[in-house]
Amino acid sequence: MRRAALVLLVLALAAAGCGGKSSKSGSAGGTFRIGSSSGIDSLNPYVAFNQDAYSTFQYVYPILVQYDATNKHFAPFFARSWKTSDAGKTWTFHTVPNAKWSDGKPLTAADAAWTINTDVKYASGGAANEAGLVAHITRADAPNPTTLVVHYKQAPGNVLGQFQQFFILPKHVWSKHIGHKGADLKTFPNNPPVVGSGPFTLVKYQKNEIALFKRNGSYWGTKPKIDAFGLRMFSNDDAMISALKAHEIDAVEAVPATGIKTLKGAGFAVSDVPGLDQTDFIINSNPRKLHHRELLNLKVKEAFAHAVDRQQIISVVFLGTAKPAYSIVPPSTGAWSNPNLKPETFDVALANKILDGLGYKRGSDGIRVADGHKMSYDVITPTSVSSANRTFQILQPDFRKIGVQLKQKALDATAAFAEMSAPNNKYLNYDLALWDWTSLIDPDFMLSVVTCAQYGGWSDSGYCDKHYDAMYSQQQLTPNQDARRALVWKMQKYLYDHRPYIWLANDDSVAAVSPKWDGFVNTPQGPFNELSIRSLTTLHKK
Amino acid sequence: MSVVLQEPVLQEAPIRSRRGIVLETIRRRPSAAIGATLLVLVLLGAVLAPVLAPYDLHKQVGPVFGHPSWSHPLGLDDGGIDMVTLLMWGARISLVVGFAATLVSMLIGGTVGVAAGYFGGKTDTILMRITDYFLVIPDVPLMIIVAAIWGPSLFHIVIVIGILLWTSTARVIRAQVKSVRERVYVKRAQAIGAGHARIVLRHVLPQVAPLLIANTVLTIAVAIFDETALSFLGLGDPSRISLGKVIENAFQRAAISTGAWWAIVPPGALVALIILSCSLIGQALEDALNPRLRVAHLSARRFRLRPLVGRGSEAL
Amino acid sequence: MRGADYVIKRLGFAVVTVFVAISLNFALFRLAPGSAVSNLARVPHATPELHQALKREFGLDKSKGAQYVIYLKQLVRGNLGVSFENQQPVSHNLWVALKNTLPMVLLGTLFSIVLGTLTGVVAAWRRGTAVEGATVTTALGFYSMPTHWLGLMLVILFSGVLPTGGMTNDFLINPSFWTHLKDLAAHIALPSLTLGLVLYGEYTLIVRSAMLETLGEDYILTARAKGLRPWAILRRHALRNAMLPIATLVALSLGYIVAGAILVETVFSWPGIGRAVYEAVLQRDYPMLQGGFLLLTISVVFFNLVADLLYFKLDPRITQ
Repeated sequence: MRRAALVLLVLALAAAGCGGKSSKSGSAGGTFRIGSSSGIDSLNPYVAFNQDAYSTFQYVYPILVQYDATNKHFAPFFARSWKTSDAGKTWTFHTVPNAKWSDGKPLTAADAAWTINTDVKYASGGAANEAGLVAHITRADAPNPTTLVVHYKQAPGNVLGQFQQFFILPKHVWSKHIGHKGADLKTFPNNPPVVGSGPFTLVKYQKNEIALFKRNGSYWGTKPKIDAFGLRMFSNDDAMISALKAHEIDAVEAVPATGIKTLKGAGFAVSDVPGLDQTDFIINSNPRKLHHRELLNLKVKEAFAHAVDRQQIISVVFLGTAKPAYSIVPPSTGAWSNPNLKPETFDVALANKILDGLGYKRGSDGIRVADGHKMSYDVITPTSVSSANRTFQILQPDFRKIGVQLKQKALDATAAFAEMSAPNNKYLNYDLALWDWTSLIDPDFMLSVVTCAQYGGWSDSGYCDKHYDAMYSQQQLTPNQDARRALVWKMQKYLYDHRPYIWLANDDSVAAVSPKWDGFVNTPQGPFNELSIRSLTTLHKK
Repeated sequence: MSVVLQEPVLQEAPIRSRRGIVLETIRRRPSAAIGATLLVLVLLGAVLAPVLAPYDLHKQVGPVFGHPSWSHPLGLDDGGIDMVTLLMWGARISLVVGFAATLVSMLIGGTVGVAAGYFGGKTDTILMRITDYFLVIPDVPLMIIVAAIWGPSLFHIVIVIGILLWTSTARVIRAQVKSVRERVYVKRAQAIGAGHARIVLRHVLPQVAPLLIANTVLTIAVAIFDETALSFLGLGDPSRISLGKVIENAFQRAAISTGAWWAIVPPGALVALIILSCSLIGQALEDALNPRLRVAHLSARRFRLRPLVGRGSEAL
Repeated sequence: MRGADYVIKRLGFAVVTVFVAISLNFALFRLAPGSAVSNLARVPHATPELHQALKREFGLDKSKGAQYVIYLKQLVRGNLGVSFENQQPVSHNLWVALKNTLPMVLLGTLFSIVLGTLTGVVAAWRRGTAVEGATVTTALGFYSMPTHWLGLMLVILFSGVLPTGGMTNDFLINPSFWTHLKDLAAHIALPSLTLGLVLYGEYTLIVRSAMLETLGEDYILTARAKGLRPWAILRRHALRNAMLPIATLVALSLGYIVAGAILVETVFSWPGIGRAVYEAVLQRDYPMLQGGFLLLTISVVFFNLVADLLYFKLDPRITQ
């Protein structure tokens, strides 16, 4: 076998000799190659779902604001300044003058207004993907090329948070695709070369393979130092890490925990920062659920929380690259996370005491009996969550110790959601599940997933509480940021007490970069992200 | 059924006595003997796993992907569990799936084959059409879908694999039954007025049984392969550790790029060994039992690739 | 006339099979729990109206019977529908994926035929010796390896030497033709090698058996007596005898090959049709699934037909 390897080595060297290594001339220029194991599902913002797609749009389309270097506050982007009036119901943005789209046509506030109005108009049709971002907007105007005026029904509390995710599209391209009552917005493939106006233009895209970006010469902001970058898709982490080690790529946006040591040993710069992902143990909290209603008892939930060994999960599943999670809004969101909450202690004795106190006696097999039936439950685990199996294997014996039997029911993500929301999005049947969430910096989205309105949508816990819903609507419409923050903290505490989720681990964002490059900035959303264009504009060769 | 052709008739006398088959087979095919020995060893290891396994299957005994050492000759997996223990228990599940799926497949295939071969005529035509239909189903996509629909429990996996494997058995059995049916004593039995069931049970089945056994062994190999493939695609039963699952776990956690080859090489090697042993034994048995298989081969132009040890779309 | 009869019967069967497959697949997919709508409606602040709109858009608000009829009508017109996931025509998605799979799989098959023939010849020629035993056992050994595991072994052996993922190095900017070709070759090497190794065993056995048959025949003895050299005998007679089974095997494997080399594609991040179908299942992308299955079934049926006809043509004694 070795001889064969040698022969092939000769061949391979010949082939690899012309590999895409960046030129070694100076610190400017070059092509930066990023490896990703998630991928871009579509180039159309009205269709795309994957994080990588949104990060792509971040670099290709103009956006009013972006996050600053702390990833907590907003900084000017296409909008250089803004002000509110009419008690927060009108927002006026002043945009960059003399900007151009990559095809030479002028980029003005009119494009922004058109995009907003189109999304509002087709919010329940073709533009549904973006509907959340234009909530409460009645209309947008562009009285002159550098002024955008947005009118709201009521004054929202998260305007900038929403606009930070809002991609302005070129009217002259997209207005041709609003036929069939806006449905055509979704069928436009938006193939490269994409008409955009960011620091880069997307010049090549092959699904599941590659997305190549070239520096945009006509960009109106800080020009990047590199010539081009590419996102190369891998179907598994192993291939990706191998490629990084072999220098076929220069960076990996999400390094699996097991690869960290090897990469560090091979001389790569591995950065580990608190992330926005959290794994969770879900307890069906639908007050109308049919069976096993003891799981609605807050004391039972509390007992369960004390049977969770977060340290073990963090050590085995994440190899230490995670923190114990405890709130629906993770600490990496900055001030939005309630700092007064703490993860519950891992205390089997306490859990047992609580359950004993509820009168759930153990049977001869050690399983407690509650309301005439055994405390034996199925835990639905989606196969798409790679940590679910090992997490379950850690939970199962610990729950046995408190007299609760857990059985794993693995389903693919679609089937899992169907089973959890059954029947017909009423969440009447299931008991427990394991899943994960990826939060945003602005807490609005995560707080929305446990509202009654998200039944059949994002809700996986069946949680529905009018009091909570009222708080949610209120925070959305509280322009005063301090007041909003206080409310957001209150909501987290409320959910902490009502426990639709027992939060498990908040895993870090771990990225690796070849030592030949500098300036690839890691954030809670990874280095190639939807928060700002910082990473790829500061990046340069050493 | 199989692509494998045994020795041309000219050079070997066919084996008449069933008792002599085993000895004859070993004599002529030492590889089969080795295969049998290996398989027995693996079976022993698997069956005795609860007693022989050095460590607890669920207990973490060291760091994730711990290196091989004296106390852990094959290192640790991605959960810090001893690999030797995993291999023993994993072989258990893999073999169970293999046997169970084969049982399902044998039952269906055997019944269909006997019915088609014995009754002939319209029954035969209809059954063969159904068999042909199953032959053209793309199997891996079907397995994926069914695992997705029903959920990946061990039971479902067994049924799915069994449903896809019965066709080759049916074919082989049908051919054999057809030839047996023409034999004198069967006709005599019919003349006397013996019922179908009696004839099948007393005269046809005994003649078919040896071939069925050979086919069974080969099917086990395919079933084990299929289970490994399903596990690799994330559709295996996550609450049971099969050898396929061990490979998949390691793969999911980037074992190779981490350098933890011991988490991937041994389980796959063990699977290959099991499959190889089954193939050698099954092939040798077939050769020995049915010299006329050669003719059957030439006319079985609609065989699948799978029969030998299950290639076809799973291989890809 | 019997010949024409046979061909027509087989063709008829093929058509019916495809139709049955289509219908059963249609039903099967809709049995899978979870719907594409719930996946696609997971956007922030989704509303019930959105669900309804999506259902209407995908025709999922109609009865299953009506959906079936619509599907058939579209199919007859050659319209495979639009993928739920990326809203692009299914035929386009499938074509792109297929284009990627074919070269890799064809190369693998070629490799297995060549290696299989070589080893089969050696085994037959060295009948009864240890060489034969070793050759056959090795061939069976590779055949017994789980495909994905063998792929991973090759990755372990060759990582750093050959690329272990993807089809090309997409970062080559304007490569020369030669560079590009070398790059493609380097990337396709391991996946097709995996396939080749895993499949060659069958060809070994076929070639060996066919040759053994021939070698035992009288006219071979005559040829040898006449003084013909072994290689000439091999070429002229024995190998020709193996042609039929080889051809049949190739035809059959081609049929299943289009089913997507999913295991290999997963290991080597190959963006082919196996992966496309796999992902379609996970996302309940019915149009992609239906289109993909249709493609696979047609290819299997077609190549089975070819194999049948080959057999018929080359060995007209068999018309059972």
